[in-house]
Amino acid sequence: MTRISVFPAVRRGFSALAGVLLGLASWQPLAAQQTGLLETRESIYNNIFIFGDGDSVTMTFGHNKRYFTESRMKLSDPGALSVEYTKYMTLGVAYPPKVERILEIGLGGGSTVSYLSSALPDASIVAVEIDKDVVELARKHFRFTESEKLRTAVSDGRSYLMRDNAMWDVILIDAYRGPFVPFHLLTREFYALVKSRLAPGGVVVQNIEPSTMLFDSATATLNSVFPSVDLYEGGGNVVAVGYSGPSLRQAELRERAARAQERHKFRYDLRTMVDARRVLQRPTGKVLTDDFAPVETLRAIEQKNEKWKDQTEAPR
Amino acid sequence: MQHSLLRGVLLFTLAVTLGFALMGFEMLASRYLYPYFGGGINTWASLIATVLVALMLGYLLGGALVDRTMSPRLCGMLLVAAGLYLFSIPLWVDPLFSWILTGVGDGMAGIVLGATTLLLLPLTLISVFTPFAVRLLLTSVTFGGRLVGYVYGVSTVGNVLGTLVTVFTLMPMFGSRALTMVFAAITAACGLVMILSHRFLRGPGP
Repeated sequence: MTRISVFPAVRRGFSALAGVLLGLASWQPLAAQQTGLLETRESIYNNIFIFGDGDSVTMTFGHNKRYFTESRMKLSDPGALSVEYTKYMTLGVAYPPKVERILEIGLGGGSTVSYLSSALPDASIVAVEIDKDVVELARKHFRFTESEKLRTAVSDGRSYLMRDNAMWDVILIDAYRGPFVPFHLLTREFYALVKSRLAPGGVVVQNIEPSTMLFDSATATLNSVFPSVDLYEGGGNVVAVGYSGPSLRQAELRERAARAQERHKFRYDLRTMVDARRVLQRPTGKVLTDDFAPVETLRAIEQKNEKWKDQTEAPR
Repeated sequence: MQHSLLRGVLLFTLAVTLGFALMGFEMLASRYLYPYFGGGINTWASLIATVLVALMLGYLLGGALVDRTMSPRLCGMLLVAAGLYLFSIPLWVDPLFSWILTGVGDGMAGIVLGATTLLLLPLTLISVFTPFAVRLLLTSVTFGGRLVGYVYGVSTVGNVLGTLVTVFTLMPMFGSRALTMVFAAITAACGLVMILSHRFLRGPGP
């Protein structure tokens, strides 16, 4: 009994100490607070860690004692797309004849949709994010602001598409949970659903990590629904663009990119980016379905980063 | 002596097999739920809760039935019914889940309803087996504690194997629809074995 009565005293001691430490922290100049772990949150879906590093802020999901970068922003230049592949995600807007409606699955810090929204102020953009804490943290740390034209919906990407019949010109898919893509966002049935929500001429754009066997299955599955698949490499990731109809001639795509570039004055020039295009010709992976999708097994088999190019050819 | 040993072997084999199938179904159910309700901890919570409710109902029902009837045939018929229900899942799961998704949504109510329609009835019927096995094997109160321990221990070995082997080996090889039907057929086969060996399992008895 006597031992227990000691505890409150100890606790008081601790809280006094904590108070002093907090006082010190708030006394520090503002810039110093931007470095190190700014916030950690255990949400229902993820362990989210926000890191500051002087001029940049990074959102990561912790998994297996590693941090997987979901989003990064430069504080001095918040409009920049700091993660290389996200520049290529914006290439989707070069393909369709008109871009009035864009859907993104997987918000992260929101840099991609914010960038697109400022370049295409008339377009209606919806970002679907399963984790409401990710949306909150994007608002808090990434200056993500919603508007009439840029909205968010908290939902699983697939169940959002099933419940909402709206058609989109561009659907961007970047739904990673740490190192994983949930299996139900990588199957033939899912892509068929995506296709049914694309307006004529619309495209799906997906970020795929090329270092495991899962890449081969993901591109093969995309290709089983979309007859044309273009691949772009950006900062170690591969961005796939899928669309209906025959593969576009490179000259035609260049022309479309030039038109879109002229109209919207993108900071990252679409005309330069289309030159990195590779056309998927020989998908080698097994097509994934809702019935058969051993994503964990496939992801466990590593392969050389460059190997994906064997499946492709230069565009004509 | 020989007779009761064989009875024990048969009932423990059934316990392992049904334990395997039961957890196999739980893991397979996640594959049906993900596309509609997402793959988060909330889906797993609803799924696990549903399976535990089924176990509870099955134990209560099985206990009541075996004391009243002492009938392995009855237990077998319930297992065959569970097998038939499970076998039919791939036929109706997609239209039903899309209806739930639009009608109820993807919150807790939707996921629990989905998991319930998928598993509650058949897993209740499967877990009826455990009290039947205990009561059929129980010849003397002296061994009662050990016997209950064995039956639960052995069926839990089946549970563990069913969880691991299904996820790490069978699902990547065969896909979830085919596996559901195979497990369902195995469940029904266990039921048939009980119906056919009704007299043998019932034992000399009073």
